[in-house]
Amino acid sequence: MYDVRTIREDFPILNREVNGKRIVYLDSTATTQKPRKVIDAIVDYYENYNANVHRSVYKLAAEATDLYENARKNVGDFIGAKQEEIVFTRNTTESLNLLSYTLESSMKKGDRILISEMEHHSNILPWMRLEEKGILLDYAKIDSNGYLDIEDFKKKLKKETRIVSIVHQSNVLGTINPIDELSSLAKENGSIFIVDAAQSVPHMPFRVNENFDYVAFSGHKMLGPLGIGVLYGKRENLENLQPFLRGGEMIKDVDFHKVSFEDSPIKFEAGTPNVEGAVGLSAAIDYLQDLGMDNVRTHEKQLTKYLMLKFADNKNITVYGPNEAEKRGGVVAFNVKNSQLLRKAKNEGIRLDDFIHSHDIASFLDDSNVYVRSGHHCAQPLMRTLKVTGTARASFYVYNDFEDAEILASKLGDIGVQ
Amino acid sequence: MYNDEVMERYQNPRFYGKPGKYNISLEESSTTCGDHIHFYIEIEDGKVKDIGFEGNGCIISMVSSDLFCESARGKTVEEVVGTDPDKYVSEFPVPISPGRLNCALLPLKSFKKVQEKLKK
Repeated sequence: MYDVRTIREDFPILNREVNGKRIVYLDSTATTQKPRKVIDAIVDYYENYNANVHRSVYKLAAEATDLYENARKNVGDFIGAKQEEIVFTRNTTESLNLLSYTLESSMKKGDRILISEMEHHSNILPWMRLEEKGILLDYAKIDSNGYLDIEDFKKKLKKETRIVSIVHQSNVLGTINPIDELSSLAKENGSIFIVDAAQSVPHMPFRVNENFDYVAFSGHKMLGPLGIGVLYGKRENLENLQPFLRGGEMIKDVDFHKVSFEDSPIKFEAGTPNVEGAVGLSAAIDYLQDLGMDNVRTHEKQLTKYLMLKFADNKNITVYGPNEAEKRGGVVAFNVKNSQLLRKAKNEGIRLDDFIHSHDIASFLDDSNVYVRSGHHCAQPLMRTLKVTGTARASFYVYNDFEDAEILASKLGDIGVQ
Repeated sequence: MYNDEVMERYQNPRFYGKPGKYNISLEESSTTCGDHIHFYIEIEDGKVKDIGFEGNGCIISMVSSDLFCESARGKTVEEVVGTDPDKYVSEFPVPISPGRLNCALLPLKSFKKVQEKLKK
């Protein structure tokens, strides 16, 4: 039985009160809160096991290395991958940059990369940098409901398209893209297929399939600590890539003018890694496994459905993205119109925006301890497509409940009647 | 939202629109917020003789622009450019949280360009 009340008790920060009232945290798309189990795992690591990994022969170092490698195995198991296919990075952004820099040498002028209009900057900028080399960046369009336009995707998937890199779940629209279908199309075309899974691995059951060449996600968006991210790469892919960063740990042998590199994934982990982060992420995965990813997805779907119904009752609220909760994740981007304010301003001959600025909405909600994100959500091309400067955004995770959604909806109702 | 003074200013800005005469036109955008402010300023003998603004953005940035125009009028360009940002923010009618500092300080940042324009 999924009991939010019990779950909430596992998160110390959610017991914090501000101005004598509990906080309503609705920004898990940006980063998630951490359960006691994750915090304890990190403390336990430093209190009992800390040593540098993969180097020294003494017991403590061996135990630290085991913890680190077991964490890698746990991450692999969580997404249906082998231990050696998991590279630890800092975050999704670094994972995608690693690919941009290591795949670059195999690309030439005139090659193309296909992404979509709903990408986060972390899946745009690493590819945009290759435009300087004469590589072309194509954006598959989204339709008016916030779905990826598959026909446009097919049209832009050209024989020169070497890489297809697509977000699994949009961090703004919540749209869940059909990555199995897209990966088949990409593979038929002979393209490398990359999944930005920063918003999907934390929120739904996720298994890599044989068409996925690489998958990137972040630990801190799935109850884990900051500064630990993951790059999954098919074994043969990782073996064929050159290293990204070079230095400690990632070598077999170094001569004065010659080096042979370690096998992957160590080849991609130059320098002392974030062992604490890996251990914390592993504890987060255990926590999520205990809840069950199917249950997590179902829970978020119910909350999203509920909030969208509440929002539908308020004619001042515009929601972006798919209408069906089935096809979207637990993130709801919205804007609020203040009809009265606009009407008054119009009478005075003053030009105001159609919507109350999202930062004003967020500041207003902040007064009631309701924490939502506002602005462009690191997806400015998408904002341009939607023709808005920004949106407010509420997002759910394991510890949110219907009351959280209810409080948000009623506070926004207060703005409308002002 | 906010207090009555801010909301009243937002709905009835005193300095919205172009003044009758202006010799400097300044545009500033905050890319992270999408705020956009356009100042029209008449400078005479190194003083702000008249000033007005147009633009769109959050309530804080719009109200700040209006208050800024009010305080700038009649002062020398040096005086206005030398405005202490901390003092400016502390005198704002509602408390400004760290996340909203840029919204409040946008007009100040923009006005600094007046000196460059005058040199040209």
